[in-house]
Amino acid sequence: MGAPYRRRHARRRQAEAAMLAPVNWVEERSGLVGGIRYFLFRNVPSDISWAQTLGSAALTAFIVQAVTGVILAMYYKPDPDKAYESIQFITNELTWGWLVRGMHRWGASVFIILLFLHMGRVFLFGAYKYPRELNWLIGVGLLALGMLEGFTGYLLPWDQTSYWATVVGINIQASGPFVGPFLANVLRGGAEIGSETLARFYAIHMLLIPGGLIGLIGLHLYLVMRLGVTSPPWSRKAAGRKRDPEAETRRQGLVEPRSRRGWRSGR
Amino acid sequence: MAGQDEGPAGETPGSGQTHSLPGATFLPFGFAIGVALILIGVVVSWPVFWIGCAVAVLFGLLWVADVVRGGRLPAPRPRPAHDDDDGERFGRDKFLEMSTLGIGALIGGAVTAPVVGFAIAPTFIGQGDDDVDLGPIENYPEGEFRVVTFMSKPEQGQVSTRTVFIRNNGFADGTPSFTIISNRCVHLGCPTQPGGPTSADEAVEVETSSGTVRLIPTLPASFVCPCHGGSYDIEGNRTAGPPVRALDRYTFKIADGNLVLGERYSVGTVEGTGASARIAAYDVYDPGQHVDGPTQWMYPLTPNMGR
Amino acid sequence: MSSLKERRAEFARYKQDVKERGKPFYPHAMFHDTIMALVVVAVIIGLTCIWYFTTSEEPGDAGLLGPRYAEKADPGTISFVPRPDWYFYFLFYLLRIFKWPESVILGTVGIPTILVLLLIALPFVDRRMERRLSRRPIAVIAAALVVASMAVLTWKGATAKENVASEALAEVPQWIEKNKLPAEAEPGAELFAGSGCLNCHVYLGGGAQALGAPDLTDAGAKNRGVEWQIEHLKCPACVNPGSPMPGFAALGDDQLRELAIFLEASKGPGGG
Repeated sequence: MGAPYRRRHARRRQAEAAMLAPVNWVEERSGLVGGIRYFLFRNVPSDISWAQTLGSAALTAFIVQAVTGVILAMYYKPDPDKAYESIQFITNELTWGWLVRGMHRWGASVFIILLFLHMGRVFLFGAYKYPRELNWLIGVGLLALGMLEGFTGYLLPWDQTSYWATVVGINIQASGPFVGPFLANVLRGGAEIGSETLARFYAIHMLLIPGGLIGLIGLHLYLVMRLGVTSPPWSRKAAGRKRDPEAETRRQGLVEPRSRRGWRSGR
Repeated sequence: MAGQDEGPAGETPGSGQTHSLPGATFLPFGFAIGVALILIGVVVSWPVFWIGCAVAVLFGLLWVADVVRGGRLPAPRPRPAHDDDDGERFGRDKFLEMSTLGIGALIGGAVTAPVVGFAIAPTFIGQGDDDVDLGPIENYPEGEFRVVTFMSKPEQGQVSTRTVFIRNNGFADGTPSFTIISNRCVHLGCPTQPGGPTSADEAVEVETSSGTVRLIPTLPASFVCPCHGGSYDIEGNRTAGPPVRALDRYTFKIADGNLVLGERYSVGTVEGTGASARIAAYDVYDPGQHVDGPTQWMYPLTPNMGR
Repeated sequence: MSSLKERRAEFARYKQDVKERGKPFYPHAMFHDTIMALVVVAVIIGLTCIWYFTTSEEPGDAGLLGPRYAEKADPGTISFVPRPDWYFYFLFYLLRIFKWPESVILGTVGIPTILVLLLIALPFVDRRMERRLSRRPIAVIAAALVVASMAVLTWKGATAKENVASEALAEVPQWIEKNKLPAEAEPGAELFAGSGCLNCHVYLGGGAQALGAPDLTDAGAKNRGVEWQIEHLKCPACVNPGSPMPGFAALGDDQLRELAIFLEASKGPGGG
């Protein structure tokens, strides 16, 4: 700020300084603003495509799930005698309750679809390769937790569909060798599905797994920032691709020079 | 940058220069006593409340004035200089490291123990089946099947509703014989249906000491699972599909002319029919677990065994 | 398989390329992400509206996208047909494929575990730098096979039917229409559907195909008469020596007559 500035800009500068003061206050005490600036203004390859929005789309669906889930938790009653009635109340009586519950219900499906599409994209782009192996593993963890979240949430409406799907799901668990029967008992909170099971699934669905998901999503994003976004494999200017061997030969005068477009065109 | 009035250098007044610690001030204590008097006064009497207010305001103002004058900011404590004796420092570091790890483990244990004890252990304890009164045996005509729906734990309500298929086999050696088959498929626990006409409109509801029991006449030729294609004969033996054993059964006794349901048990296979059936009985296993054959080694222990 | 040195060199080139020729995340990539977020939220709200406005408060009223809720959970039911949420259909159908008791564990725990292990192993198995699809035939074929098999399993799971009374009863109106059954045959048709006849027999494509019991779609085509049908139901082997079918005299004369009228009226879709 050593440059001289004109008098008519003085007032605007004062206003800007007043507005920036709280930002600077936070920055000086946390360094967070710098982090956000880095996140926003870091470079990504110039050839990234729509396919690479699937991850952030899944994050959007997760945020929708988190927000609607918190609101649903205010009205839902995790008790076998009241759960079904509270779902009916939310859907039919509560102002916009149908919208919140519907968004949570369909958001779950959209979230799972987006997880699969995102994983397919990463697979096809080869974006799980060095040095992003760890982020692929975290992604596998996120997929597993997402499907578990779907499974535990499916029981909560306590209707016929959800009850029997849960019976089957827990018994699948129980058929695992050696430890299966014990895991099933822990999930059920006993030998049979009862009120313990519903409370347990509710706690797992809205505290345990979301906590894990949020932690893993944070790690996932951190690694994306640290390692960068991959170029599409078909891109002609893909970042990191080995310098065109043809160009090397050409420099040695062995072949006729040809079009120099290609990986250099972004320059 | 513009807008930053105070540089980092101007923020630590007195650090490194004033070595003398400020004298202990009694002003915060006076303020605290005032607040305590206010709280007591709210409960006991209003005069005490007002005295408290006065004390708190007086000492509060004095305290603020004292702080603003700037004499009281605590100076950072001088860090204890490192001893140059390597051996002694190693011992001290080692001690701190070990005790940190030890205390950490202790805290971890203190937090984990309730999780194990409170959340996990109860799921393995005290789950025996209660006896369920299924009403007078006259309701079960000899040689016919009834679909019987009851509450296995009446105090838990509707969530403990269970269904069994009961057939009165008449008398064997002078004692009544019943075949009581659970309707839960032993593949993965779906609700099997009788493969035969079931007259829901001829249902009978019987009030017993265990609540309402519902009896539906049925003429099954088989029992069929609606999930994954399992099917059983009327003794509960698997005839097709993935079920890993025969349908579970219940023990029973007759008390005051009523049929009383006992414990559930798992069944390998049943030979013969009715009163003369020979049943390979096992402890209760979850669906999907083999009790016999080459794959039973996968389930050496089950949590509900011997209950 | 590329050496670690090569892979490190490639990543260093990548970092340099991005630094020199990349573009800032905000606003370029962020714009696409924001549009995508809008699409996601719009799709979720759209699905919700279709779901809500095509259903009523009635439990089980399916609408276009499924009911708001089914009947309240009844652990003692003998008529409910359990099905999972759509994204577990592939697993659900896997469980139906492994229909031998010794193989149950493959469907329940085995294949899901193998799938997860494959996902975990992927970045350690495929350690080449190559990312172009044309140079990764195995990966592309594997991906296509996985997608195709998941799609087939999901579709099979979504359309799977059982020969149980509660599902067969829903077919009765179709039987009446396709087989042009008279009104007096309807009670018999419901009895037929609800009595487990389809555990062995086939009727208009539904039922147990594998057991070798006759297809009863045109059971009345020989015009043997209602009385013959009743006698046959009472004691199949008496009128048809060697028949393995058990007798159903226990049904009672009224029900046997209803069944017989239905069977006699069944002349097949082309006949009668």
